[in-house]
Order: sequence, then structure tokens, then C-alpha cells
Amino acid sequence: MTTLEQLSEAISLGKNKDARLFAQRAIDENIPPAQIVDHALVPAMALVGERFKRNEIFVPEMLIAARAMKEAMTLLEPRLIAAGVTPKFTAIIGTVQGDLHDIGKNLVATMWKGANFRVVDLGANVSPAKFVAAVQEHRPHLVGLSALLTTTMPAMIDTVRAIRASGASAVKIVIGGAPITQQFCEEIGADGYAPDAGSAVDKASELVAAGAIDSPP
Amino acid sequence: MTPRERYFAVLRGQPSDILPRIPILMQFAAEHIGSNYGAFASDHRVLVEANLRCAEEFGIDQLSTISDPYRETSGFGGAVEYRRDGVPICERPPLLDDRDLGQLPRPDPLQAPRMRDRVDAVRSYLERSGDRYSIMGWVEGPAAEAADLRGVSNFFMDLLDDPGYARELMARCVETAIDFARAQVDAGADTIGVGDAVASQVSPQTYESLILPFERQLVDALHEMGVIVRLHICGNTTHLLPGIATLGVDIVDIDHLVDLAVVRKVLGPRVVISGNVDPVSCVMRGPPEDVKAAVARCHAIAGAPFMVNAGCEIPASTPPPHLHALCTPIAAQL
Repeated sequence: MTTLEQLSEAISLGKNKDARLFAQRAIDENIPPAQIVDHALVPAMALVGERFKRNEIFVPEMLIAARAMKEAMTLLEPRLIAAGVTPKFTAIIGTVQGDLHDIGKNLVATMWKGANFRVVDLGANVSPAKFVAAVQEHRPHLVGLSALLTTTMPAMIDTVRAIRASGASAVKIVIGGAPITQQFCEEIGADGYAPDAGSAVDKASELVAAGAIDSPP
Repeated sequence: MTPRERYFAVLRGQPSDILPRIPILMQFAAEHIGSNYGAFASDHRVLVEANLRCAEEFGIDQLSTISDPYRETSGFGGAVEYRRDGVPICERPPLLDDRDLGQLPRPDPLQAPRMRDRVDAVRSYLERSGDRYSIMGWVEGPAAEAADLRGVSNFFMDLLDDPGYARELMARCVETAIDFARAQVDAGADTIGVGDAVASQVSPQTYESLILPFERQLVDALHEMGVIVRLHICGNTTHLLPGIATLGVDIVDIDHLVDLAVVRKVLGPRVVISGNVDPVSCVMRGPPEDVKAAVARCHAIAGAPFMVNAGCEIPASTPPPHLHALCTPIAAQL
């Protein structure tokens, strides 16, 4: 196996010490950091997402894979910045106001990072005004809204309305969380619904691939 | 039949006049009586008043003590903050950064204020309603409480990184759950609900090798106390059903994501299935005719023994006619 294959496997299996070891080895082999990301991290997290969608792995396995990816990124990120390499697309993400459950949001954020998005994580319990301010500041291609509780679904409606009313018409809004459905997505005017963290990558890629959002709003 | 009589009739496989209705109410009940969720979670008098009035008005057969996940966590030393219109929060789980189990006290359910408040709720139900209703106490399951103490992500990673530690932590949680349940049974609970929602997010292998043995220990202890055990794991539990089938619980709450035909096939003919009308898309959104039809459909698929319930908590913004529809009397199959 090549070093990149070993790194990819370590990440997908959640072996964080090995991930750090092989990331360092790849750097030592003078593989450009962007190539390490594209050929090891991105496919590893894509595999993790696919396995999750097929119920072959569950949330704990995803969490340790995400931790391994972060371990590799701590070595790669400074080198990517130094090389002037930046992700093509930016996403902001948060749980909506009143919802403090952030595990799903964290997984989606990690999966998006693993798919080479720049992710601005606003955290949990984010007000519509804070989402709007972040959209205006970061000019993202995507906004991800998460709600675990049925009781916070109305806050998702308010947030979508606030973002639309702010004039950020081109930004695409992806929603998810246990009580969320495609029907709810359509009713509140969001652009996409992702039933799980693996699907969130597909949905994000699908939306940013649309020509209308080639440029940030 | 009184609500309690029909509840126990179904549990014993005997004829009952109608299906028992056991929906979970929290914020809905608080707001329905003009109060708020913060008061409901922090003062058993509000919780008792809200659930009793809803039981009378809507025709609910069991009085519940569920409010939020942090009764035991508070007893273990976690600081809980109440919010007027939301679930209480515990910003810093006691073992979030320092995983040393030596720092955990063994909570006394009659001394720890939030645990005592639930015991008082059971006692108040008994004083106010006698034996008219079933009274359900509540404890956190081993995985749920471990996740409350460590933080969900930390606990999930513990399960894979350090199973010995995860086991030790869950053993402490079960010890306290048994203490807490016993106090509620002594106060008058005939049923103990066990909430272990985070278990739905782990693999069947992790569930059966790590979590299930502790759930079994808890269920066995509850049965030794002579009470009915109601297991509540919301979310998609299809992959856990073979393990759940071995627990010997009396009632299993099933969320709307799970096929009731599969549940009945895997759990067998004796377990009471409770569920699984979609709480948001159906109960909250209605219309009432659709809610009634959904209940009938669930009953038809699950067969007997069955109790009426949504997949999880009734959302706060559910119009009251929709809850009336859910609780519309339906003749029970045998």
C-alpha cells in the first residue's frame, strides 16, 4: 500500500495515531498537502459516509474516523495555508435556536471538511440573526441547519426566512436532523434535505455543482 | 374500566374495553395549562397538575414523570440550567474533561433535589388520583446516563476506545438507576420507564456486547421490585430489535422510523408494542382524521398487545384536537 492508501485506511477505520503517523510520512515524502487531502482524506471520509448510509457503521465509528481526519489535518492545515491552498467552497453550519444537540451537526461539519469544504461552525443554539450575520460575513455557498428536536423545527423556519429576507438569495440552505423530512424542507423553502451525515456530503456537492452558485452570493 | 384497569388488562393479556393511551407529554402539557417547560421540569407540582389535567381532558391512561434527561446527572453533580421554553441544559457534563469515575458521588434519590422532585411527583400522583391511573416513574438507561455524564461524543468514542471504562461508567449509572427506581416504586409507581435513546446510534455489535448487559441488569432489578418495565429508545431501532427481544421488558416504545410488522415479528407475541404515529408529520400537522387513521393502522400492523402512542414526545405546538384524535377510544383486539 502507498502511504496515501495507508493514511486513507487509518482515517476510515478511526485510527488516529496511525493517521498522524501516515500524514507525517506523506509530508516527509514531499507529497503536496493538497494532494494528500484530495487522495487520502477526501476518499476516506467519502467511504465513511457511504458505509454509514449503508448501516455498515454507526455514529461512534464515524466519530473516531472524524477524529482521525482532524489528527491528520492538524499537520496538513498549516502547510495548506502556507501553500495558499484554500477550499473552493465555503459552508456555514449550526443547530437552530433552542436546539443544543450538536452531534449530528458536528458530524456533518466534519464530513463537509472531509469533502474539502471550508466550514464555519457557528455551534449550537444559533439565532436567525447570527446565521444572517455569518452569511453576510463569510459569503458561503451553503448554509447547514440542524434540529434534533421537534420543538425547534419552527426555529428552522424562522432561520430560512431570515436568510432569504437578508437578500442572500443565491446561498443554498441544507437542513437535517431526526424530525426533519423532505416534505418539511419543501414547505419551508430550503434547498435540500439530508437524512444523514453521509447524504449531507452528496447534497452539498450536488448543490454547489449547480451553475447558479459557482460564485459566492 | 378505569385507566389503570385497562392498562393492566392489556399487560396481562385480558380483555380491555379500549386500547390504553400512553403518549408522552412534556412541553405540550406545561403550556396546555398555561405554564411553561422550565416550571414543568423544575417543580413537580406543575408537572403533576399538567399531566393530570391532560389525562382527564384527552383520555390518557398513564401519568408520567418524564421531564428531561438530567435528573440523575444533577444528582451526580452536574449543574442544570432551566429555560422557560426549552429542555433544561447541562452545559458541563460532570465527566466531560476529567473522566475519573472516583469523583462521582452515589446520589441519594431522596436527597438529590432533582431526583427527590421526581419521587415527590409520583407521591403526589398517588395522593391525588389514588388507583385511577397507572403511574410511571422514569430512569435514564445505562447508555443515556453515561452519555449525559461524559458528553455524547466522548461516550461514543469510549465505547470503541476503552470498552472497560465504558462498562465501568455504565455500571455506576445502573446502580443509581436502580436506587432511583426503587425510591419511585416505594412512592407508588407501578411502572418504570427506561429511556436509553442514544443506544439507537450504535451498531448492533456494540449494543449487544456493551450496552445490553447493563440494560438487562436494570430490567431484572426492576422486575424484582414487581413493576412493569417500559423501554423507550427513540430513533430507528430496527438493528437493535434482536437484542431488545432478549431483555424481557413488558412495553417497548417504537418510533415512527421503524416498521411495526418487523417489531412484532422480532419481539414476539407477548410484548406490548407502543407507538408509532409520526409525532411531527402526523400528530402535530394533522388533520385529526389522519391521526385517527394512523393509530388504527399502527394497531392493525402491530396487533395485540398494543397501546396507543406517538413515536416520541407530543410536540409542543400540536393543536389539542390532534391529541384528542390520537386518544380517541379504539376497541382493543385480543
